[in-house]
Amino acid sequence: MCSCCVVLVLCCLGLLSADQSLKPQLGDFQFATNNPTLTTVALEKPFCMFDSSLYPNRSYAIYLYVMKESASTISSLVTDESSKPLGSTFQQTSGGQLGPYNAAFFDVPDCAVPPRLPDVGDMNKAPDVLTQYLFRVGDDGTCLYDPNFLGVCNPPLVPDTTYRFKYVLVDNSEGIVKDQTLWSDPIKTRRSKLPMKIDTWPGQRSGGMTVITSILSVLVFLLLTGFLASVFSAVMGSEDASAETKGASPTVQQSELRPQLGSE
Amino acid sequence: MAKTENGVRIFQGLLILGNVVIGMCGIALTAECIYFVSDPHGLYPLLEATENDDIYAAAWIGIFVGFALLALSILGIIAVIKSNRTLLLVYIILMLITFAFEMASCITAATHRDFLTPNLFLKQMLERYQKPDAGNNNDKWMSEGVTKTWDKLMLQNQCCGVQGPSDWQEYTSAFRMTYSDADFPWPHNCCVLDSRGSPINLDGCKLGVPGFYKSNGCYAAISGPMNRQAWGVAWFGFAILCWTFFVLLGTMFYWSRIEY
Repeated sequence: MCSCCVVLVLCCLGLLSADQSLKPQLGDFQFATNNPTLTTVALEKPFCMFDSSLYPNRSYAIYLYVMKESASTISSLVTDESSKPLGSTFQQTSGGQLGPYNAAFFDVPDCAVPPRLPDVGDMNKAPDVLTQYLFRVGDDGTCLYDPNFLGVCNPPLVPDTTYRFKYVLVDNSEGIVKDQTLWSDPIKTRRSKLPMKIDTWPGQRSGGMTVITSILSVLVFLLLTGFLASVFSAVMGSEDASAETKGASPTVQQSELRPQLGSE
Repeated sequence: MAKTENGVRIFQGLLILGNVVIGMCGIALTAECIYFVSDPHGLYPLLEATENDDIYAAAWIGIFVGFALLALSILGIIAVIKSNRTLLLVYIILMLITFAFEMASCITAATHRDFLTPNLFLKQMLERYQKPDAGNNNDKWMSEGVTKTWDKLMLQNQCCGVQGPSDWQEYTSAFRMTYSDADFPWPHNCCVLDSRGSPINLDGCKLGVPGFYKSNGCYAAISGPMNRQAWGVAWFGFAILCWTFFVLLGTMFYWSRIEY
């Protein structure tokens, strides 16, 4: 009786913890800072999500399905009646509008040896760490227009749209879906603004400019006033000098400030 | 009599000293403005494209004002020594004209510096960087200038965008018209490049992994030299003019007191 309770409790705990992580997650923000972008979303690969469904000596593949959030009202099934994964493409579902499309498939990531993110600092190991840890939805810009492309196309997403993602575990030999995660939380691609709307008005005048302009204006005014005053006084002085008779007493102007250059 | 003669001599000496300082400041102003006009940081195409390159106009005026100040200071020294009224009058009038030009240069430099905001360069970068051929030759010339300058800026200063690489994600741009977001979330010059000029890890750069892309903005590298230019021309010119004001007032007083 007791052991049954323990098993039951452990089962419930296991289910609870599995439920919380059984969703595709966005890549760690500290690691991939440019995520999501206008047309791409980088998701963490499903580490240790399907371990309970994996049997040894069988080969499995993970399929990634993408759909717009608006399509969840139309259809969100990723398998057909015989439990085979849907082979819908980007074009068939109008980019995820009519239902989920298959964006990629890859090997099951190794749960025992997860990638060490600090290793990305090493130039030799960096490319491996990136491909092991993240998958970038929307990475391939040319496959839609390439008539020779035969693989699964992963074209860029639409900006400012909410998408949801799902990982599906498929047994390669039987071609049947063995397990699937829940649909991810809605993830919205970025929106971009028009550069025309950027306001380039500089705002208030700076203090330095006000000081320079006002002080220089005052200085120029004083200079012009001084110039006029000195011309005026020079004209008046010469008039006084010419009006005087020869015998008159010397004026202040004649005696003062006569430069004595070279006179001993 | 001796006392007033001494006073006159002292006053003449002061005026000559004032003119010597003006002459030296004129040489310094010319040298400083030649340095700025030579554009050592290569930022002129950015200003040319904003059609707001008046801080360069102020520097050009500064070159010629500097020469004029040097020549006029020599004239002033000769005129004060000879106490010739005509020469002094010519000196005063020419100095007033030079004063006006230098005042224009200072005010222009100070005023137009205020227009150089981050938003101005951001808008210009988004609208002109890698803009495909469009419009007339003038437009094409400006776009090419902006593109080359930005490429050089990003390479030399290890920076991207005006405030950061997110500028390329937040706004549409002429660059975005040609290059898709999936391949180029930002220009490849924003990636950390190896010695051959290619990104060390293109995927890391696209994802924004620290260490593979340049996360700083280039605004500091743009505004630093432009601020130094504008303030250098404006405040140094202002200082020269303050000094010249007193020398000119003294000369006018001296002129009004001597006889023909």
